[in-house]
Amino acid sequence: MARVVEIEGLRKIFGSVRALDGISFSVEEGEWIAIMGPSGSGKTTLINILGGLDSPTSGNAVVAGTDVARLDESGLTRFRAEKIGFIFQQFHLVPYLTAVENVMLAQYFHSTTDENEAREALKRVGLGDRLAHLPAQLSGGEQQRVAVARALINHPKLILADEPTGNLDEVNEELVLRLLRELHSEGHTILMVTHAPAIGRMADRRIELEHGRLVQITELSTK
Amino acid sequence: MFARLLVRLLRGSRGRLIVALVALISGATVISALLNLDLDIERKLAQEFSTLGANVVIAPGQTMQTKDAGTAAPSLMDQAIVLSALKQVGSADVVAAAPYLYIVARSAGTPVVIAGTWLDETPKLDPTWKLDGEWIASREDQTQCLVGRDVAKQFHLKQGSEISLEYQRRSAKLDVAAVVDAGGTADSQVFVNLPVAQNLATLGGEIALVQLSVTGNAAAVGDFAARLAQALPQFQVRPIRQVTEAEGELLGRIRLLIVSMALLILALTALCVLATMAALAMERRMDVGLMKALGGSISRVVGLFLAEVGVLGAAGGLIGCIAGLALSRWMGERVFGAAIAARWEIFPLTIALMILVALAGAFPLRLLGRVKPAVILRGE
Ligand SMILES: Nc1ncnc2c1ncn2[C@@H]1O[C@H](COP(=O)(O)OP(=O)(O)O)[C@@H](O)[C@H]1O
Ligand SMILES: [Mg+2]
Repeated sequence: MARVVEIEGLRKIFGSVRALDGISFSVEEGEWIAIMGPSGSGKTTLINILGGLDSPTSGNAVVAGTDVARLDESGLTRFRAEKIGFIFQQFHLVPYLTAVENVMLAQYFHSTTDENEAREALKRVGLGDRLAHLPAQLSGGEQQRVAVARALINHPKLILADEPTGNLDEVNEELVLRLLRELHSEGHTILMVTHAPAIGRMADRRIELEHGRLVQITELSTK
Repeated sequence: MFARLLVRLLRGSRGRLIVALVALISGATVISALLNLDLDIERKLAQEFSTLGANVVIAPGQTMQTKDAGTAAPSLMDQAIVLSALKQVGSADVVAAAPYLYIVARSAGTPVVIAGTWLDETPKLDPTWKLDGEWIASREDQTQCLVGRDVAKQFHLKQGSEISLEYQRRSAKLDVAAVVDAGGTADSQVFVNLPVAQNLATLGGEIALVQLSVTGNAAAVGDFAARLAQALPQFQVRPIRQVTEAEGELLGRIRLLIVSMALLILALTALCVLATMAALAMERRMDVGLMKALGGSISRVVGLFLAEVGVLGAAGGLIGCIAGLALSRWMGERVFGAAIAARWEIFPLTIALMILVALAGAFPLRLLGRVKPAVILRGE
């Protein structure tokens, strides 16, 4: 199986803070990885670098065949549009665009828009009747499902989710997790940051960080 | 999608954008009004300088006015003396010359000023006149006349109408060959050939003044006037171009004032847009970070915002221009006492200016280019 993520000796230093302090691991295509660790341990920094939102101070990071450490700003922009689907804790929808337009925005930045495909994606996450709603008219769970549809619309190589259920109640958390499980079973590669051990157990592997160091990798699935 | 995003952006921030739009509309209103005044003044100036109308006048001298001590009647000149002197001095520089005799006759009981002249010379002496009809080709023609616009209105005349003129017990009936739009005193006069006026007033051989059109610059014209004055010591000979140049200078100063006011207003409008856009840029930091995170390039994201501002500038320019043309009409009438025509080139000009001003005011949006997409995952 192809490797989607391969990092080695990854470091990220903010002034005097070593947010990531020499991290190495790799992720196979189709794997679901849970990233866990206390607050401030470097989880978001890791996601940012893997997603091309930030560059490492040193070390190698090859994601979907691309060495993200060597890309310039515009190269990173293309990389994000083509290879990555993001799901954020705060949902982060554009407030003045409707649900379907928020999905189309990702299409627009990727290549061309296809409203029908965007509608289908929203139907798939159970929002077929909320297409023309603005984010403010949607519940948190619904907003996060729009974000999931948006993350999927360009068929990314890697889905990065930073505490995707951190702001949701149990019912909505379950809905979003069910979606992620579905995506996993369809063969998507997912890296998900979570605080909840129960959620962490759904993954194939669990990576634990502490003070920017990788302290433990746990094999969970038995496939 | 670009247009759709644009519409959503405009709607999403309409509260703030309306402030900027109002500034742009107000700016465009004043700018287009000033530009319209300015262009129209320029047109009038150009008319006065580009055409060679009458620029030298021969009028009765001081001594003649006291010939009959006690009478207030305007003194006249002997046509034969003036014209023969003119012939002597006359050179190739004289493009046109014609004597004038003014009398106040009546038409249907209402007083009207009659100017008797050589109507075949009039096109060269008054090249700026706009005619509704035909010039009169011969100075011998005693059956036709030209009537000023205001006279035509007063007596309901148009080309082909007949006007009858009475002076004491004599009268004349003339066909209107054309209605004249002169933009001056000529609008309220009737122009006939010299013999018609002389016969009505029984002033055969008498004239009130001679107008000449002489080619050359101000110095050459002055030279010619001096030579003519020597040949006609009993009369006043003076160039009249200098008056126009003084007027031109004054108008030039008014233009300078107008242009500097326009620049000031453009700057103020840009500042107002700038303030609004700076606030908007702060508001949109997260949206921009998000768009970048989703793979939107800087040029695409900032381009979207600039297009939004451009639309705003165009809308402000268009609405302001309509208001501005009305304003310039009003200002023309109230302030300058002149009819200011709407100049349609004002529209593209104002709209282009307002787009530029809006884009200049949108400078803070450029800072959005620097927003790091990673803010999206922090900021909480
Ligand atoms: N942009 C930044 N500037 C300075 N320090 C930062 C920045 N981003 C993260 N950090 C620091 O790096 C460490 C790791 O942060 P982060 O990756 O957000 O942790 P986590 O997501 O695990 O809570 C923290 O100490 C944090 O304060
Ligand atoms: Mg975090």
